[in-house]
Amino acid sequence: MKPGLFISAVVALLLGLVLNELGFFDAGKLARGFRNLAILTSDMVPPDFSVLAVAARALWETILMSFAGTLLGFLASLPLSIIATRNLFSPLPARCARFLAAAVRTVPVLLWAIIFVILFGLGPLAGTFGIAAYTVGYLAKIYADLFEGTDPEIIEAVGSTGASRLQLVRFVFLPEGANAILTQLLFMFEYNIRASSILGFVGAGGLGFVMQIYLQTLEYRRLASVLLLILAIVLFMDGMSAWIRKRFLLTAH
Amino acid sequence: MNHSGEQENALRAHGLWFAYREADWILRDLSLSAPQGKITIIMGPSGTGKTTLLKVLAGILIPGRGHVEILNRKVAPASRRSLSSLVGYIPQQLGLMRNLTALENVLMGALGRCCNGKVLLGLFPRQEIEGAQQALELMGIAHKANEKVFCLSGGERQRVAIARTLLQHPRVVVADEFVSDLDMALALEILSRIRRAAEQEQITFVMSMHRQGLAREFAENVVTLREGRLAAGFPTTPLPEAVVETM
Repeated sequence: MKPGLFISAVVALLLGLVLNELGFFDAGKLARGFRNLAILTSDMVPPDFSVLAVAARALWETILMSFAGTLLGFLASLPLSIIATRNLFSPLPARCARFLAAAVRTVPVLLWAIIFVILFGLGPLAGTFGIAAYTVGYLAKIYADLFEGTDPEIIEAVGSTGASRLQLVRFVFLPEGANAILTQLLFMFEYNIRASSILGFVGAGGLGFVMQIYLQTLEYRRLASVLLLILAIVLFMDGMSAWIRKRFLLTAH
Repeated sequence: MNHSGEQENALRAHGLWFAYREADWILRDLSLSAPQGKITIIMGPSGTGKTTLLKVLAGILIPGRGHVEILNRKVAPASRRSLSSLVGYIPQQLGLMRNLTALENVLMGALGRCCNGKVLLGLFPRQEIEGAQQALELMGIAHKANEKVFCLSGGERQRVAIARTLLQHPRVVVADEFVSDLDMALALEILSRIRRAAEQEQITFVMSMHRQGLAREFAENVVTLREGRLAAGFPTTPLPEAVVETM
């Protein structure tokens, strides 16, 4: 048997076992699920747009939380990622910075929001800090890896002009990584808008609080209009980030 | 020339040994010298240690044994900033930043002298900007100063890299195979400009090269490497036929 075929057979077998363990082949359970899906869908249409004004206010809060949280996290992630860059700093500080980024990243954004609700009380401030914390952990790791991939010839050439470490960051690492830095930042903003729409579930402000109320009171038609609003804003953000990338990124090579 | 009639050497390397892995020597007891204000070309087959030698000469790599002197000052273990007025380095792929303009790339040559916070905001002193423009003029591409490097041709990029090193005002420039990717006419033009800069500014150029014809035309001093050792050194051109045939 060819190795490729053998590996495919093993992966297929493993997948089958795992799906079986998760109840994927339980026909009764699946049929019940599809019946409930049909009921839920019929309960959601037509969407009740009378709640749009309330939802839009909550959505605005969500966008503000995401914007502020993403930017705060981005600003904090830059110095951390620079210290974590092993071709700029010696192994000990780089390892400490990477450990810190990993530790921050380990905690999911929802848990960060709960922690900040405990610290600052209910409301969007807790959500903003929660988003910022998760953003730091994620971007610090991505940017450190990006900076480490900077062409060593550029570092050697500019380093041999007598440039300081700070000058190297300013004139080599940041301009060389500009494309990826912007792309990751936009991705993080999109992600944070989606993520922050559920932070209200734990009292951290935004759209999640409204969604939670409609879920608990079984007002699925109102929930549907909120979901459509989220879809609209995510599509809008997608278009915006595509425009920004097209406008500002290096296109010729 | 010194008073005894011998040519003064801007760069001297004494008994260099270098290994990336323990005891796997790339350079073995290598000594050479480069006369001041002249072009020295290092030749030899691929994988013979030319790039490693140039990095050691530029102070980027520290030799396991031996040392390099530039104008009678030891290169290692001096700091990069203190070395920047002595030696400049142009890597094989030039080390330019594609996202920055030609002028901004040339201004990188002034970083060793500009330590204030304004520079971090991209605000270079007026005399450095004028110096960068003059260096681009000397290389014949002043009209491309504000174009991003990714829009420039291979030859133009080459000239930007030289201009950057000229703005650094080093006494010695070490360049690695940097005309290898150019066609013959362009390589001749670039090397002519280098020769002019060497004569005008009394800068010593040490560069590696594969092309024997160009080496014959432009080098005042040719050093041949083989397996990390000095195979031959010839202080005058033309390069002897016997050596050319062995390369």
